[in-house]
Amino acid sequence: MAQYDLTGKNGQYLDRHLVAPLLEFLVAQNIYSANDVLQSKLALLTETKMVDYAIDVFKKLHADQEVPQKFLDKRQKVVEDYKAVQETSKSIQQILEDPGLAEQISNSRDYRQLVEYLVKNHDFKPERIDSIYDDAKLYYECGDYQTASQLLNLHNELVPTTDKNYLSGLWGKLACNILLHQWDYGMEDFEKLKTYIDEDPFRNSLQTLQQRTWLLHWGLYLYFNHAKGWDFLLDLLSNNAKYLNVIQTTCPHILRYWATAVIISKHNRHSTAMKELVQVIQQESYTYKDPITEFIECLHVNFDFDGAQKKLKECETVLSNDFFLISCYNEFIDHARLMIFETFCRIHQCISIGMLAEKLDMTTDDAERWIVNLIRNARLDAKLDSKLGHVVMGVHAVSPYQQIIGKTEFLSMRSQILANSVARKLGDKSTYVRM
Amino acid sequence: MSRFYARGSDSETESSSEDEAPITKPTIQPTVYLSEDEEEQTSKRIVRSARDKRFEEMYTLVRKIKNFRKNNDMSNILDCYEDLTKAHQKALPIILKEEKGATPSFYLRILAQLELYVNQQWENKKTMSKINSKSLATLRQKLRKYNKDFEEDLAKYRENPELLDEDDEEEEKEVDEDDDESDSEPEVKEKKPKKESTKKVAKTDGDDESDDSYWGSDSDESSSSSDETEYTDLRQRFLKKAGEGEQEESKTKKQKEREQRKKDLAKSKLDKEQEDEDELGTWEVVKGGVQAERPKMFQKDQEINTPVVMKKLVEITAVRGKKGTDRKEQIELLVELESVAKEANLGSAVAVKIGFAIIAAIFDYSLKVHEIQKVQYWMKLLDKVNEILSLSISTKDHLTIDENVAEDSEELDKAPYKVRGCLMTVFERLDEEFLKVLKELDSHSFEYLERVQDEKKICEMLDRLLAYLESTHLVNDKGVMCRAYYKKIEHMYYKFDVRVLKKKRGEFKGDTSVDDMQRLAGYVYAKDTTDRLRTRAILCHIYHHAMHDNWFEARDLILMSHLQEVIHHSDPATQIMYNRAMVQLGICAFRHENIQDAHNALTDLMMSGRVKELLAQGLMPQHRHDRSPEQEKIERSRQVPFHMQLNLDVIECVYLASAMLIEVPYLAEHEFDAKRRPISKTFYHQLRTLEKQSLTGPPESMREHVVAAARAMKKGDWQKCYNCLVNEKMDKKVWHCFAIYEYTKNEEKIGVKEMLRRKIREESLRTYLFTYSHVYDSISLPRLAGMYDMEYAQVHSVVAKMIINQELMASMDEPSKTIVLHRTEPTRLQSVLLQVSDKINILRETSDRNFETKIQGGPGTMGPGGKGRQFNRMDWKNRRNQNQNRGGQHNRGDRGDRNNDRGDRNNDRGDRGDRGDRGDRYDRNRGNRDRDDDQQRKQAVEQ
Repeated sequence: MAQYDLTGKNGQYLDRHLVAPLLEFLVAQNIYSANDVLQSKLALLTETKMVDYAIDVFKKLHADQEVPQKFLDKRQKVVEDYKAVQETSKSIQQILEDPGLAEQISNSRDYRQLVEYLVKNHDFKPERIDSIYDDAKLYYECGDYQTASQLLNLHNELVPTTDKNYLSGLWGKLACNILLHQWDYGMEDFEKLKTYIDEDPFRNSLQTLQQRTWLLHWGLYLYFNHAKGWDFLLDLLSNNAKYLNVIQTTCPHILRYWATAVIISKHNRHSTAMKELVQVIQQESYTYKDPITEFIECLHVNFDFDGAQKKLKECETVLSNDFFLISCYNEFIDHARLMIFETFCRIHQCISIGMLAEKLDMTTDDAERWIVNLIRNARLDAKLDSKLGHVVMGVHAVSPYQQIIGKTEFLSMRSQILANSVARKLGDKSTYVRM
Repeated sequence: MSRFYARGSDSETESSSEDEAPITKPTIQPTVYLSEDEEEQTSKRIVRSARDKRFEEMYTLVRKIKNFRKNNDMSNILDCYEDLTKAHQKALPIILKEEKGATPSFYLRILAQLELYVNQQWENKKTMSKINSKSLATLRQKLRKYNKDFEEDLAKYRENPELLDEDDEEEEKEVDEDDDESDSEPEVKEKKPKKESTKKVAKTDGDDESDDSYWGSDSDESSSSSDETEYTDLRQRFLKKAGEGEQEESKTKKQKEREQRKKDLAKSKLDKEQEDEDELGTWEVVKGGVQAERPKMFQKDQEINTPVVMKKLVEITAVRGKKGTDRKEQIELLVELESVAKEANLGSAVAVKIGFAIIAAIFDYSLKVHEIQKVQYWMKLLDKVNEILSLSISTKDHLTIDENVAEDSEELDKAPYKVRGCLMTVFERLDEEFLKVLKELDSHSFEYLERVQDEKKICEMLDRLLAYLESTHLVNDKGVMCRAYYKKIEHMYYKFDVRVLKKKRGEFKGDTSVDDMQRLAGYVYAKDTTDRLRTRAILCHIYHHAMHDNWFEARDLILMSHLQEVIHHSDPATQIMYNRAMVQLGICAFRHENIQDAHNALTDLMMSGRVKELLAQGLMPQHRHDRSPEQEKIERSRQVPFHMQLNLDVIECVYLASAMLIEVPYLAEHEFDAKRRPISKTFYHQLRTLEKQSLTGPPESMREHVVAAARAMKKGDWQKCYNCLVNEKMDKKVWHCFAIYEYTKNEEKIGVKEMLRRKIREESLRTYLFTYSHVYDSISLPRLAGMYDMEYAQVHSVVAKMIINQELMASMDEPSKTIVLHRTEPTRLQSVLLQVSDKINILRETSDRNFETKIQGGPGTMGPGGKGRQFNRMDWKNRRNQNQNRGGQHNRGDRGDRNNDRGDRNNDRGDRGDRGDRGDRYDRNRGNRDRDDDQQRKQAVEQ
């Protein structure tokens, strides 16, 4: 199963703190040996300031060993730092606790006004702004995302977009909100970052590319956790050459998530998104392939239903082992089945239920029930022939009469408009000539 | 300017010090001029700072001016003055650096003195000769102008001349001493002119109009001024030479030296010839005598040393590029000089220097030389470059060859040597020359074959050159390295490396040319600053990838580089390269079954009908407007040498075959469609002409084969179609070129023929269904599979695709495995009605558009610029309509939403925008027509 695991690829573009949940998930999946995962987790955590967590992991890993001194030393130091910062940032805490602050933020026109307000009411020193950011960073590194998020919120309000820490602050806020499972706020941050990057403040295409890659990856948490996440991903990628380019150049593995989002998307936007997706998948087929993209290829390029069926089975394992996709496992399977069935129906006028059941990986009875439900919900124009065990599709050919009507019905309206405008025009001209 | 003098003077010093620490005298040359030998040998060890060197130069000129002043020789003063200002200009950077920008006081002084002097002379101008007075006037003018720059300093000097003089006391003294010395050393004086004269002779026999800066003033002098002045001038100089050294010498040492000289002189007198020379007396006579002689390199027994050789070299090369120069003789002279230098063992730097000169001379020569002789010179050139390369490689530790070494900071005498020059440039020219030589030869002749073998030598040299460059400091010079790597790419890209294919099949491990290419091109992409090299490197890279069947890499490279959009702005050579790359890309796409991409890549080229010309593989006869000879010459020079040319038959066949695979089903599908438009005009044209013939014989040419295949396909006869396309004749003509890509894997043949067989079956099946579906009520799938020798699943897949894309109004009946066709094909009346409604729609569109033109062209916007703007907007609108039409034409029914990836060419990344272009052209025609209509109507209104 390890061949389809994307943790390694995704991890490159994520923050250490964001990778931690991924690793936690991996421990539970038993794809890799638990020891290896713990080992890498330890390596991950030692670089952060979440020393207690690291010590826990260490104990799990080496139950019989003493905790090394360096951890303890570091712990000591971190605790000291933490306390010191807590002390110094008391005034900021007070500001944050001020009930009028939120109102003030929404009322101020720009950051200067806000700074003025704080100086006036809270004895705030403008030169403290940078240290707010530094404090937030420390809180974040220690795992206190709540406080970090609050501080960063304030910081972002206090600095112009050109500030050196502005961008990092935004990223920090996004990370905090993701880790706090504040998907709505996360979404806001995501939007802010996106617009910021789209303004291209780096003047350097490589850097822009990098930022976009990160954004796509960090967004993974949002796409599959936020209620409207899928739509969001589709919006981001549909007709957006910028992000499509990112996928094509740096991270074709994102295709998996895109494909999943397209499959489980609402019916009305399904077909256009699918078209785009199929193209990209075909183009990138040599750099990235996994059961999900292959499933789509089978179904929409080759119309190979047996192949699609096989791939769908593989997809199940892929999905259940993917941190982001596991939540939409059921939906995916349902939609995928429906997709197979729909395509099948569009091609066939008569299908035996037994065959269908096989294709959909269901028992005959289940399949029949399923189809009956579809017919009842008016999503399918078909009838069951229980004597032969067939599903007979309704025929929906367009008659030539209808075609002609369709082609000509607006003619009279158009000529009316034309005649009107000609008349108006003539009137214009005569006035012009008279003048 | 003063190199010779300076060296002379310094060497004197050195020779004196040498007495203390004698150096081993070279034993190679038993020469009579021992003393001079000594002098020159030792002079090699002198290290002078740049400042000293520059100032020395200026001192000399100052002294000269002073001397001329005594003689009132205005023209010479003027010359010297000009040289002096130039020398000052040259010395400026050093002055700025070392003197903190303060003008040297001696320079100021001479300026001030000159001014004074000129003013004095101005008064008795009338008494002067014509030349002198003229020179005086010029000098006065120049001086006034020039001195303005130094106004401040000069004023200071005039106020307080002593102050500044003090600084330069030494200098002054030196000059004075010169004069003293001249009296006290008659012997030396006597001998010097003689020596000089010999050199002079050697010099003048080469050419009289040498513009060597050192001698230039002299020769002018001799022609313009009297002998007397000339003599004094020289005398002064020689005095100086002796005198300068004097300054630092102790009396005893001088004495010793003099004795030594005397001894030498005595010794030399034994030599009869030398004696003869001596007897000739004044050197004017010598000059006259030798001029008549055949030019000789050096006097038989003249001392051969670096400066002498260099001087000779400068002298020979000085005439380069002048009219009437015998280039051949120049080469001979240089070669002779080289052998002399070699005999004298003057070190690698001199050899390299002369080598560069010879190469340059050969390059010059080959411009003029007749084609047949070119080969001969080419060989010489190749050897020479090879030689110089070997030399520089073997001495790379102590020999620097760099373009950035200034001409006068070259170091030829001692390690570390520095030589100005660039091996890369030489190599580039060599390569150019190689192509020229190849182009001159008949590409089918034996000579050509022989010459092409030199390519191997050149590549070897290039490899060595690269290794050399990488091991020297030049590795940091991005420009040079990019050029070097690009050259390597250029020599590599068109060569096929079988290992690449083997590697792909797992039969070979290790680096292949593709990897090398990647490395080299990567460097150029990253480091190059001139866009041109990068563009060309990308194109070569694409070509190489495509040739080695790396379709995806090649495709991504061309798409990411966005070259298609900007290539029209680049130079013809690059465009040719682009065309070549596109051809390879197209053929590669064809091999990879991407028929649409293959067609798109080749269509631009093939539609033009000038493939040969666009690929620079031959000139097309032009009927309409004859090109001028120059133009033809330019075009000829762009031609690609034969061994790099692409097989035109293959290109055309690939294009036509892919056009067939696209066009035939399309024709069948849209048989009654009013809006049908041929996808490939070339192919369509071929097909139509064949159909028009009342009698068609068996296919002969490649084109006829393809068209015959297309006719078979039209009937859905895949077997015949395949046989027409792939048979023995075609194998010989075309498909043998693809043989190298074929291989068997698991007993399954993989190659272009298999691909064609598969593709032809598929497209024939589609054509069959389009053409004959109206006579069926239902078709059994297994039977179709049998007919087309395909597997059931494949047939199913093809049919399903057609149904989904609504190309076929049918649906499948799964239990009975049949296609049930829906009787939606309109009756005759209905189809006519449909056509009528289409036409009405077209009419409506036109009238709409006409009306809009009217509105925009109406009284409100009829400004002077209105026309163009209106035209553009209309154009744009038309294009939109156009696209809509196109889209509509694929949708036969009303239901949209088809993911027809075959017909939907708009979304194709590989689409070369040909559609846009064509639309454009179409629009333009339309626009014109509309405009004409408009004008007519306007005229009508006016009437």
